[in-house]
Amino acid sequence: MNVMGIIFTNDATMGELTNKRTMASLPFGGRYRQVDFALSNLSCAGVRHVGIISRYNYQSLMNHIGDGEEWGLELEEGGLEFLTPYAMTTTHTYRGKLESLNNAWDFLEYGADDELVVMIDSAILSNVDLTDVLNKHVASGKDVTVVTKAGIANGEKKLDLALKLDENGEVTDMVVDYVADKDYVASMDIFVLNKAWLMKSVKEMIARDKFHMDRDLVMGGWQRGVVSVNVYQFDGVAMFNESVEEYFNNSLSLIKKDVRKDIFNGNHPVYTKVRDRVPTYYGEGCEVENCVIADGCILEGEVEESVLFRQVTVGKGAEVENCVIMNDAVIGEGAELKYAILDKNVTVTPGAKLIGTKKNPIIVKRGETV
Amino acid sequence: MYFQKKRVIAMLLAGGQGSRLKVLTQKTAKPAVPFGGKYRIIDFPLSNCVNSGIDTVGILTQYQPLELNEYIGNGQPWGLNKTHSCAQVLPPYERNDKKSGWYEGTANAIYKNIDFVDRFDPDYVVVLSGDHIYKMDYNAMVEYHVAHNASCTIAVRNVPLAEASRFGILNTNPDNSIYEFEEKPPVPKSTNASMGIYCFNWKVLREALMADEEDPNSSKDFGKNIIPNLLNAGHKMMAYPFDGYWKDVGTIDSLWEANMELLGKNPEFDLRGGKNATIYARNSALPSSYIDEEAKIVNSFVAEGCEVYGTVKHSVISVGCTIGEGARIEDTVVMPGVVIEAGAIVRNAILGENSKVCKNAVVGGAFAEGEKKSISVTSKGAVVEANTVLLPGDML
Repeated sequence: MNVMGIIFTNDATMGELTNKRTMASLPFGGRYRQVDFALSNLSCAGVRHVGIISRYNYQSLMNHIGDGEEWGLELEEGGLEFLTPYAMTTTHTYRGKLESLNNAWDFLEYGADDELVVMIDSAILSNVDLTDVLNKHVASGKDVTVVTKAGIANGEKKLDLALKLDENGEVTDMVVDYVADKDYVASMDIFVLNKAWLMKSVKEMIARDKFHMDRDLVMGGWQRGVVSVNVYQFDGVAMFNESVEEYFNNSLSLIKKDVRKDIFNGNHPVYTKVRDRVPTYYGEGCEVENCVIADGCILEGEVEESVLFRQVTVGKGAEVENCVIMNDAVIGEGAELKYAILDKNVTVTPGAKLIGTKKNPIIVKRGETV
Repeated sequence: MYFQKKRVIAMLLAGGQGSRLKVLTQKTAKPAVPFGGKYRIIDFPLSNCVNSGIDTVGILTQYQPLELNEYIGNGQPWGLNKTHSCAQVLPPYERNDKKSGWYEGTANAIYKNIDFVDRFDPDYVVVLSGDHIYKMDYNAMVEYHVAHNASCTIAVRNVPLAEASRFGILNTNPDNSIYEFEEKPPVPKSTNASMGIYCFNWKVLREALMADEEDPNSSKDFGKNIIPNLLNAGHKMMAYPFDGYWKDVGTIDSLWEANMELLGKNPEFDLRGGKNATIYARNSALPSSYIDEEAKIVNSFVAEGCEVYGTVKHSVISVGCTIGEGARIEDTVVMPGVVIEAGAIVRNAILGENSKVCKNAVVGGAFAEGEKKSISVTSKGAVVEANTVLLPGDML
């Protein structure tokens, strides 16, 4: 089965955290960028032809992914391709996924042997077995398979696409960009489609100035009875990182063993760019409890219920609680941090206090000194 | 095929058995022995090469090479897989002349790969061994070698007089030129110990290797034959003084010590390094480590992919290890993939890769201040059964 992967990098929705990066390049879980999950899911399913469609701010992303070596995508044939606005047939950016696919026509045509396409986003993290999804898609004989997660729709969160299913798993309703009720399942923004069918559909949609994947192709087509939709209900951990609050809570949920075991499933590793950092040093008098800690840190203070990225220094007497601390932060002696997200390269001067709340964690911008 | 001419290439001797590491090298070559939480011994000379701007490295393997070959792969972790660089594994092989067959000594190993070296037409060849932990700029040594117009330059370090008879000792003139070489002298005249790091003019070395092969009594060894022969032939030979950290990790005790010397706020050997001082390693795709609320970690290294629920003091915990609830680890080197179950106690030990210490088992023991420690060792994949004891100094 020849499969093409298309990753969308998603537009920024997290204010200062995504000011200068896409959702795809947002750091997550101590050593990853969000896009690592999509790339690794594709890689583990044997997909060897992947395009990354990015609208803005793709520099940090390109830097992270490079030639795709870590994901086994540095190939002579196929491999990895960045589909930035300038690499596509038109120089203006696109209004929706269908339009971006139309702009990336050369890429779609190049993979002439590919029969199926997996489209996957970068803001919803999971360790999903795409081989199984692909097999179920083929067995269903439907036009589109949507991977969904139950329990996300809650009558409060706005969802890109939500579906209501009957007891046989058949779709009875679809809503787009809507605060769906609890009895809906949320799309994880992962789609499997037959490639020839997708290419034909893209042309037909664009001809009618329709460019929105969820609204025009999936929901619109299903409503008109011309697109058949199969639903793959994922039962693992799916992290919808679409707001700062969700990102913060999902980051800290890695402290839970069942969450870690699911998203870092040893049979499907999550690959990321290698950084040659030394192991983390736990000094005399450090107290680290309930934490996820990456390489290269020097810890001499107290750290509780937090996620520390690479090369973070926590000075003596510092207290860090419920925080997400990105690479290379230096937290001075005696500083006190609660409910905070520190972007990369932040310096916290000795004795400084940063106290946020669970709902509104304090965000310190990249490179700042507080 | 086109080979770019290289001014300098390195030849890394990685074929030795390392028998003094006992069970740790039963199934693996010494250079592939894990070190410092996420490294293997060979990462040090390889990273030094890269950091010194040497991009062509021949790696001579012989003893139990499977794991080592797999680890080196195409040299990608060290950036040695590019168009004009290489990390070439050179096992012994069969051919129709004298260069056929097993390596019979350090010099013989290079002799049998003269063709490999010739392809790059190097001016200088740096000969290294795969059993030392140190950071060194080989390029600075090559420049020193060139500036002194030497045929051969040997890196030396000062060792305590009492230990000098364990080393090859170089007796030098005030300008650091060597006038005498003594292999493990009972009464050493100086304390300049050879570090087993050589820089040769390739033409000189090539001739010396060919000549040595004609000598039926030669043991085909750099220290015993090549170096004394060059000296006797009147070649200019220089000692290159090196005063940084350098440790031969050829024994259980020294391997344990070297790991312990990584610990502390200002460690004797700092693994950290900025530009041109990074030690590169093949990384495993493991997540960040989890440290539980009951865990207590003091003065220790913990690499990625670990789950720590117990107490760790003054130890090195490598990638992918699990330390169970209530387990206590002290003064121990825990190699990759080790599982220590709840309630186990491990002190003064080296736990080999993927070995397992089951519930409430006890490994090693405590030693009084100043008392000679006797390190307990588990081999790769060994299992210390629940409620059993592995005594101090014992091996499993």
